Amino acid sequence: MFGETVLKEIDEIRVKYPDRRSALLPSLYIAQREFGWLSQEAMQCVAKALNLSESIVRGTASFYSMFKHKPVGRHLIQLCTNVSCMILGAERLVDFLGNKYGLQPDGTTEDGRLSLVVMECIGACGTAPAMLINTDFYDNLSEKRIEEILEKYK
Amino acid sequence: MENFLLRNIENPNSADINEYLKVGGYKNLTKSLGMKPKDIIEEVKKSGLRGRGGAGFPAAMKWNFATADPKFPKYLLCNADEGEPGTFKDRPILEKNPHLLIEGMVISGYALGSEYGYIYLRGEYPQAKDILNEAIKQAYEKKYLGDDILGKGVKFHLSVYQGAGAYICGEETALIESIEGKKGQPRSKPPFPVNVGAWSMPTIVNNVETLSNVPYIMEIGGDAYSNIGSKDCPGPKLFSVSGYVEKPGVYELPMGISLRDIIYKHAGGIKDSKKLKAVIPGGISTPVLPADGIDCAMDFVSMPKAGSMLGSGAVIVLDESVCMVRVAYRALKFFEHESCGKCVPCREGTDWLRKILERIENGKGSEGDIYLLSDVAGLISGRTFCPLGDGAAGVVTGMIKHFRNEFEEHIKNKKCVVS
Amino acid sequence: MISLTINEKEVTLDKPVTVLEAAKQAGIKIPTLCHHDLLKPWSGCRLCVVEVERMPRLQTACTLMAADGMVIKTESEAISNVRRGILEFLLINHPLDCPYCDKAGECELQDLVNKYGPTVGRYKEEKRKVPESHKDQIIARNTERCVMCTRCVRMCNDVQGASAISIIGRGNHSRMEPFSSESFDCEYCGNCLTVCPVGAILSRLYIHSFRPWQVDKEVGTICSYCGVGCSLVVQVRDDSIKRVIPKLGFGLNKGLLCSRGRFGYEYVNSPDRLKTPLVRKNGKLEESTWSEALSIIADKLTEIKGTSGGSAIAGIASPRCSNEDNYVLQKFMRVTCGSNNIDSLSRTGFAAAQKYFEDLLGQGITANIIDGIKNSEVVLVIGGDPTAVNPILGLSIREAARRGASIIVLGHAKGLEKFKTVQVVPPLFKEAEVLEALLVELFRAKGVRAELPFIDKEMRELSEKAAEKMDLPGFDELMKALLNSASTSIVLGMDLIQRTNGHRSLFGVAGITYLLEARLYLLSERPNEQGLIDAGCVPDMLPGGRPMNIPDFKSKFEAAWNGPIPDDDGLTLFEIIEGIKNRNIKALYVMGENPVFNLPGGPFLKDIFGNLDLLVVQDIFLTETAEIADVVLPALGWAEKSGTYTNLERRIQLQKQAVKTSRGMEDWRILSEISGRMGQKMGYLETDDIMREMAKVSPLYADLTYDEIGKGDCLWPYHGKPLRGEMNEVPPVVDAEKDYKADFYLAPEKLLFHSGTLSRKSPALMKICPEPTLKMSAASAGKLGLKEGDRVQFSTTAGSSEAPVSIDESIKDNRVFLSNNFQGSGVMDLLSFSIDEVTKAFGIEGCEVEIKKHGIKA
Ligand SMILES: Cc1cc2nc3c(=O)[nH]c(=O)nc-3n(C[C@H](O)[C@H](O)[C@H](O)COP(=O)(O)O)c2cc1C
Ligand code: SF4
Ligand code: FES
Repeated sequence: MFGETVLKEIDEIRVKYPDRRSALLPSLYIAQREFGWLSQEAMQCVAKALNLSESIVRGTASFYSMFKHKPVGRHLIQLCTNVSCMILGAERLVDFLGNKYGLQPDGTTEDGRLSLVVMECIGACGTAPAMLINTDFYDNLSEKRIEEILEKYK
Repeated sequence: MENFLLRNIENPNSADINEYLKVGGYKNLTKSLGMKPKDIIEEVKKSGLRGRGGAGFPAAMKWNFATADPKFPKYLLCNADEGEPGTFKDRPILEKNPHLLIEGMVISGYALGSEYGYIYLRGEYPQAKDILNEAIKQAYEKKYLGDDILGKGVKFHLSVYQGAGAYICGEETALIESIEGKKGQPRSKPPFPVNVGAWSMPTIVNNVETLSNVPYIMEIGGDAYSNIGSKDCPGPKLFSVSGYVEKPGVYELPMGISLRDIIYKHAGGIKDSKKLKAVIPGGISTPVLPADGIDCAMDFVSMPKAGSMLGSGAVIVLDESVCMVRVAYRALKFFEHESCGKCVPCREGTDWLRKILERIENGKGSEGDIYLLSDVAGLISGRTFCPLGDGAAGVVTGMIKHFRNEFEEHIKNKKCVVS
Repeated sequence: MISLTINEKEVTLDKPVTVLEAAKQAGIKIPTLCHHDLLKPWSGCRLCVVEVERMPRLQTACTLMAADGMVIKTESEAISNVRRGILEFLLINHPLDCPYCDKAGECELQDLVNKYGPTVGRYKEEKRKVPESHKDQIIARNTERCVMCTRCVRMCNDVQGASAISIIGRGNHSRMEPFSSESFDCEYCGNCLTVCPVGAILSRLYIHSFRPWQVDKEVGTICSYCGVGCSLVVQVRDDSIKRVIPKLGFGLNKGLLCSRGRFGYEYVNSPDRLKTPLVRKNGKLEESTWSEALSIIADKLTEIKGTSGGSAIAGIASPRCSNEDNYVLQKFMRVTCGSNNIDSLSRTGFAAAQKYFEDLLGQGITANIIDGIKNSEVVLVIGGDPTAVNPILGLSIREAARRGASIIVLGHAKGLEKFKTVQVVPPLFKEAEVLEALLVELFRAKGVRAELPFIDKEMRELSEKAAEKMDLPGFDELMKALLNSASTSIVLGMDLIQRTNGHRSLFGVAGITYLLEARLYLLSERPNEQGLIDAGCVPDMLPGGRPMNIPDFKSKFEAAWNGPIPDDDGLTLFEIIEGIKNRNIKALYVMGENPVFNLPGGPFLKDIFGNLDLLVVQDIFLTETAEIADVVLPALGWAEKSGTYTNLERRIQLQKQAVKTSRGMEDWRILSEISGRMGQKMGYLETDDIMREMAKVSPLYADLTYDEIGKGDCLWPYHGKPLRGEMNEVPPVVDAEKDYKADFYLAPEKLLFHSGTLSRKSPALMKICPEPTLKMSAASAGKLGLKEGDRVQFSTTAGSSEAPVSIDESIKDNRVFLSNNFQGSGVMDLLSFSIDEVTKAFGIEGCEVEIKKHGIKA
């Protein structure tokens, strides 16, 4: 269950909107932060904190692709492969991550260090290809640059 | 033309309120608070400002609908979902010039009689979230936001609502559903958001760029503004240029500039002096134009005549090395992934199109497949709940129209002609 | 006035509706898949497209509002093309298992494909695969067949309010999920079954057992479970009930049902049904014949009447039996046996409250239409969970909440947890004080209403006595809401009545009703609690609620009934019990009731019933009471007989015979047979004869006929003449100040999935809720070191039992709850009780209970 501080955090969000349900998305972000992913328990906590049915919480959460419904590694790579990135080699980078790190789309490395999600456009088309690692942003990617960047994420 | 939307963004601290104030920031707010709300709307009307989110709806008309509705409170929602692939034009405003947006929203809020604003920010922009929150904090401290703005008794509160990865939430009614904590599935219209929007109250949804134009209109006046760019849709416009050009990036240029000029004059022409093959002119949902179709004026009125749409002004430049079947396949993969699932033609049709394109791309296509593609696109087009499905169908139709030979060759040779 | 043209037909509308609805009114059917009359428009399937002149694209009729001058075409080649296209899309992922699917024959998709094509599929890839779920014992879910119309989701969210079903995922990757046993808040209303257009959601009670076209007959009747009286349709094949479904748009429930109504019908076919009369011989109940059994009863009753007088005989009526049955029973008691000792277990709640309110505020004060609740500004819920006791009434409260009403819960109501605006939890067993305090504050704010001076006077006195305003969380908010409300509904459950000083709470409620001119609703657990009162099964009133002590009334009935009626009021339920204990009552006639199980102190009752010279029970099962009877007579049950029922809003409705499965006899016919044998011929051949007599003698039913009742909406006051309030002074409050310092108190719980002795013979309901649990708050469980599912032993001064623990977030005090539905472990046996002097109901507060984890020795 959520601790006092988290519940307080959610309460503060709640009052910003005319209806408690508006706090659902922000609360799911909080649950994801607290639990690492949206486990059944995480969603139950949200349901309880907002007095919503679990089914509503689960249904809503599963609509949005940035909510994770299975555990992810310590670092989450979100690599864009949409057209602007694709034509500039994003798919080669996906292959590279597979070959070099054993990392498949929607997968996690065996050591639990890295997870990969292939993204739709992340708004970096002018400096494609691009990715997010956790909430850090990287663009103008190449195989070499990815290798260097990943050094920072142990 | 001097930059206004992107003014000062070369300054590494441009997001700081003091830097913004140094270049005249918030003086348009002070000026506007001295005016009557309806006079502000009148200026916006004179300016001819059209929404920059994609549909190009006249801003003042939307505002007038909302103010005509007696219900209260009213909500002002800034659409910062920027999900259209190829688009990254709102991002520099959000990350480098957040106070311009805030100023625009406070002026708009005052004009509209709205006391609460929310910026619906896509989940994929985590930095922007922090920057905006910091900027909002600064604006509160300096009394540009709050219960008594600049001591004028004007109230406006602003906060950021973070989306969570759903393209459809850029559609205004889906955005409203999402901010209400629901799945982002579009609502039927009517009732329109200006009458029954967020939390059932009159709600104005405007794009980041649209709202950021408001201080400019207040600065130079509606008449002067209306003389910039195209007559029917004036003003400065941000174009995001990506793909095979020498200088990709966001350009602030007058509406109606030709697509050719954007590519060759401003973005430095095709990279490595290769040959241009095609341009997607307004984000992935807009039909592709062939290399000889780029002498068109980029605005909401002219582009449909040229066989495409202005959309978000996201220009994706494709050179001769690009396989169009692959692009079509990738685009449909996007639509299939982002279809909200509410209506049958989009939910089932995008998946089917993707599968047909996938087999053609993989050399498993058969003769009737091009016909089937067009036919399935036809079963979607005009029949979906919201424009997302139409966009998907339009992409396929446009690709077949201009690049039919590439599809045929894929099917005949069981492989791609390009690679 | 809006007029438009649809398919060249002129249509005029008196209020704005959608084109779909307008077409329907004109008899034109537009195909739909996502739309359903019970739901708000969704516009997802796109099948309802129509051509509208001067509109560029095709429009969806389900969302387009009809406007003056519109010219619409609902069929054309272009429209058919769209529909065919949509159906082709839907078939992409739909398994073609129609020969196997139980929906075939009533599948909307199948019918549409028949009409619009396509005939061949062009889709080559794999279909979406989702394995059938076998997890639920009641609802069969086959997601592959789902067309994602979201009707079930919208039903569950927007109408039922359970929010147990969602579409999981997005777009083409989504599926509907979950139901019931995998899920969290399923209420097993089965309303999702009603709206699913395909075979994705089906009831396991009937799948693989028949096809929709194999139904022999469909009988429109009403439900047998609670005091709401929902309309439903019984589908019969080979004289057995195959399925119970609602009738769309019909009855007060308009197509909705609850779990009991929909899935609880199997008891009718239970192998445990009584088959022949039983007579006690040498201490054992043995099978007998009708003639033997009836003669034994007639002879014994005649003998007792002769030696000890009619007042040594008493009868207990049944809120599960029809008006006709109850009418005949009271007539049998009064005229044939010569006794006014006729009462029912409704005395312990509904009847007691009903009488109190009518005496004070006038007849008909509780006759309010359930549908009106949804238009209230404030709904005040007191003393029970309406969504469990009267589920369809509960839905009106949820609907009111959706429409913006304030829902105020005084006490606790689990089913309204997500709908309540304010909750005020009175200190333990101090509900009366809170209600009084509330009344005083309202009186202070509103002043004298000056319509019923004795109530005004009482309130003034209360207000003078009361000093400080009550300091209770939520109290001020509650006050404010009530004061600002222009239309208030008060929904009262039985928990408050069943107190030593229950009438004190009743005065509070009566006063608030009076001051606010509120609509008052009494929750009613059984289908005919109101009807048995109106039929005269109360010791002090003749049919039509006419007081015994007014000679004019009495002589009229005596003339009609051909015999004298005793002068004095009869005994109430507990006075009868007292009489049995003192051996003043020698014979007890029980019709369709199980007092030994349904009243507190069962072992005691069992014991004193041994004092009786004759105990007759007529019932459909060998109940705990029947087991100790001298003669047991098998009766006919629901769906086996016809008759009228009066629901809690006082609507009279027809229950109709659908099957003839058992060998029992109608209750009224049994009584009439015995009466004849006792020399008092009743002469009824069919229920019509009884209704005709009731319509003649009872001023309330004046001129009522089955024809009129059958049309529906037979509402209070019919053609009858209501009486003004009887009382002109408020009964005094006897104060019984007590401190409640024990750790835990036991209290009865009302379950959504069960109802008395009946539902435990319904396999489906037993699967949904197979055993009793001891419900307690998380805090109580914590204090005892218990977690969900731990088995506990618990004991009171009256007895002990055991059950698993279940933690209920909605409980906010240190009471623990146990239901009274399961054989051998009903809460009533464990409760000690007292009697309220005014209402004569029992009071069961403050029953201390000791709880221990199972296996740990005391
Ligand atoms: C599928 C779809 C996606 C959209 N995405 C966006 C978006 O990401 N950002 C945006 O500003 N408008 C988007 N729109 C347009 C909005 O619905 C709406 O027209 C816009 O926010 C109105 O603002 P404006 O008048 O200032 O352009 C989208 C529309 C559709 C149909
Ligand atoms: S076209 Fe239909 S399914 Fe597609 S995004 Fe719009 S509403 Fe959703
Ligand atoms: S019934 Fe209108 S869209 Fe489904």
